[in-house]
Amino acid sequence: MENNKDQELAKIRKDLKEMLVRDLSLEDINPADIKDDEVLFGEGLGLDSLDAVEIVVLLQRNFGMEVKNMDQGKEVFYSIDTIANFIYENRKKA
Amino acid sequence: MKIAGIGLVFAQGLGMGALETALNRGWVPPQEVEAPHIPGGKTPAYLVNLEALPDRSVLKKIRRSDKLSKMSVLAAADALRDCGIADITKRKLGLIVATAFGPHVTTFGFLDDILDHGDAAVSPTTFSNSVHNAAASYVCNSLGINGPTLTITQFRFSFQAALQLAQTWIDQGRCDYVLAGVVDQYGDVLGYVADHKLTTAKDGKIKPFTFKPTCQIPGEGAAFFLLGRENRGNIYCGIDAVHTGQAPDRGKPEDLTIIDADGMLPDETMYRGCLSPDVPAAAYAPLFGSMMIGSAFNTAAGALMIKKQLLFATPVADNPAGIRLLVENGPASVASILCAGYNCYSERSEILLTKV
Amino acid sequence: MIMNESIQITGLGVVSAAGLDLAAALLSFEQGVRNAGPVSLFPTVMHYPVFEVKHLPPEYRLEGWRTLSLACIAVDQALKEAELGDVSGLRVGVCLGTTVASQLNDLEFYRSYRKGKTESMAAVDRFLKGNLSEYIARRIGARGPQLTVVNACSSGTDAIGVALSWVKSGLCDIAIAGGSDELNHVPYCGFASLGIANQELCAPFDRDRKGLNLGEGAGVLIIEKRSSALLRGKASDLFLAGYGSSNDAYHLTAPSPEGVGLRASFITAMREAGIEPQQVGFVNTHGTGTHDNDLVEGKVMADLFGPGLKMLSTKGYTGHTLAAAGGLEAVYTAAGLRAGWIPASAGFRTRDEAIPMAPVQEKTLIKASYAISTSMAFGGNNAALVIGREAGL
Repeated sequence: MENNKDQELAKIRKDLKEMLVRDLSLEDINPADIKDDEVLFGEGLGLDSLDAVEIVVLLQRNFGMEVKNMDQGKEVFYSIDTIANFIYENRKKA
Repeated sequence: MKIAGIGLVFAQGLGMGALETALNRGWVPPQEVEAPHIPGGKTPAYLVNLEALPDRSVLKKIRRSDKLSKMSVLAAADALRDCGIADITKRKLGLIVATAFGPHVTTFGFLDDILDHGDAAVSPTTFSNSVHNAAASYVCNSLGINGPTLTITQFRFSFQAALQLAQTWIDQGRCDYVLAGVVDQYGDVLGYVADHKLTTAKDGKIKPFTFKPTCQIPGEGAAFFLLGRENRGNIYCGIDAVHTGQAPDRGKPEDLTIIDADGMLPDETMYRGCLSPDVPAAAYAPLFGSMMIGSAFNTAAGALMIKKQLLFATPVADNPAGIRLLVENGPASVASILCAGYNCYSERSEILLTKV
Repeated sequence: MIMNESIQITGLGVVSAAGLDLAAALLSFEQGVRNAGPVSLFPTVMHYPVFEVKHLPPEYRLEGWRTLSLACIAVDQALKEAELGDVSGLRVGVCLGTTVASQLNDLEFYRSYRKGKTESMAAVDRFLKGNLSEYIARRIGARGPQLTVVNACSSGTDAIGVALSWVKSGLCDIAIAGGSDELNHVPYCGFASLGIANQELCAPFDRDRKGLNLGEGAGVLIIEKRSSALLRGKASDLFLAGYGSSNDAYHLTAPSPEGVGLRASFITAMREAGIEPQQVGFVNTHGTGTHDNDLVEGKVMADLFGPGLKMLSTKGYTGHTLAAAGGLEAVYTAAGLRAGWIPASAGFRTRDEAIPMAPVQEKTLIKASYAISTSMAFGGNNAALVIGREAGL
């Protein structure tokens, strides 16, 4: 069970990284180089407010996830880990 | 006011060096572009290949921009580099971006989003880039321009309107310098519209002096001019008069008339009204393609000729009406050049370039 | 104090959800009426309320050209007040701003194009003949300079600023300036995707503000040299005193947190008008009701004018009308100076401790010679207009 969860999360994280690099046009960044716990906004990866609303749409299109508002978005979008966990938890509910 | 720097990007490269090479070389055939909606599936076009440009470092900062914005930033940065004034962005520097069609490719991309994903699942990044002034925003952010910033659209006279406004901003002290430029992009939909409404040149040649019937080949690119009053920078020439709608009588003939004829009107015979047997004529659209903003590229060619005291032959010299054409390259004494254009209502615009 | 050759405002024209003309809008303002509702102009699955213009007069209904229709209404009103009938013998320029009319964003045309069977080029023809300033100039026979400003949400204000430059420089004696935009499917989706469209009615400067409502309309000023107006036997109490514009050079969609460009725009506009901040009777803000916009604007104004400045957002009555906003708000600002009052800033209830000032909460009397209207836009554009009124005329 735990093993399955780990595998599933690892897959989500990989997909997420590829999605961000591709759809946010992060030229010169290799998806594998993004750390799981790296801060995505501000410092870290340096994403901004427009990326945040773009990620809302990307999660909707690619993972069928609804982020209700940006207050929730701020918590969820902290790092690859937090987004992956959000997707995993909400997929389970569905 | 004076032109103190020019930057441009077009089918034959980036910068005034590329323009000079193109003027020297003369006509080259256009590319063949995939055009799914045009009969035959292909169309000739003079398109910018961003990947082939030598220096793309300025594009690093604008990762999510579209091609329209990238061409704008490249040409604007090139103009500031060309002027050589080190502290230019610390001066009161304004920006005017003129475009006939704006970011239509991105706009259609956004319409794709609406049609494919529904109203509630569209990309905010695509939307933001589909706003007409996105290109100006990227230029300001990339180059640190803080002055008044305006994006305007006036179809065939977009460039002329920009020059006219730049002049007032400089005269009134709103700006020390104005970076005024044009940008337009080729796209499937407008390519289809142009092919449908106009005649595309089968032999790859725009023939500006056939007047009727005309033929067009779509072009794209950006051209920016650093304009100011001071005698600093890389001075090309003065821009002394810009008129749209009515043409003044200047008395003295110029050394060359450049016409904006490029096949974007089915009938361009009105251009004969600004040509005279006393003044040789040229038209450089065959080098960069048919564009509503083409007068900016013709103006850049004119400015280069005055600066270098060189004349460049008109690249396609088909001449059924027996117009006196400029047919040879070579050194010459060039004091003034008139660039003339007409819109679809047969209204005339004139840009007069004079040696400083 | 009047500058040696003042640029008078001799005509005002305005149409929005608040009213089909200025008198109707002032009545809505006075009564606190907010004419918002669900979208009726196009089908959509989303439920953000909008401020649509209802009951467009039939003689102004141009099929597929709603932005132009709205512009024509406002232009005709302004020409009427300015007593400008036949303009063919005059040097008249046209400078109007738009977002919608500058794009070929007709969904039906594009849908058929994608299917590979474009039977009709009508949408393309409308687009090619529908450059806003060119269309208006040709409609009334104006032969001066033409320019359509596409500076997103500051277009209307910038267009009026351009016209001021034209008239001052002598490119024309009279200018028709402002902005027009229809409520359109494309920006409706766009603003929703940016997460700044409000499910409820907008509440500019309120602590609990949740975004903007889109609207539509047109607002137009006729400006002209005092000497030109006098020659026509026309005198006006209103004048256009200054314009300032500056770019944040910060971000495509977010304002600079310090409001760098907005501050510079205020200062430039006041300098051109030759006035000090304490002479400003009120500011009609951009005030969209989004978190960032109102925060930055409030901070800059409190710093420049002091927290006691009277200010409001009329977007609570009109919605955000994009490129028209600067036109509408210049007209409403001029009308406020002339009428001697401004309305309660609709939607505001609770003060935001992060913003060092609050908008007026009731109909407020104004005794001042100057007021400012501001716009902030996508792309970091900021613009401000100083409008003046000569007492005693």
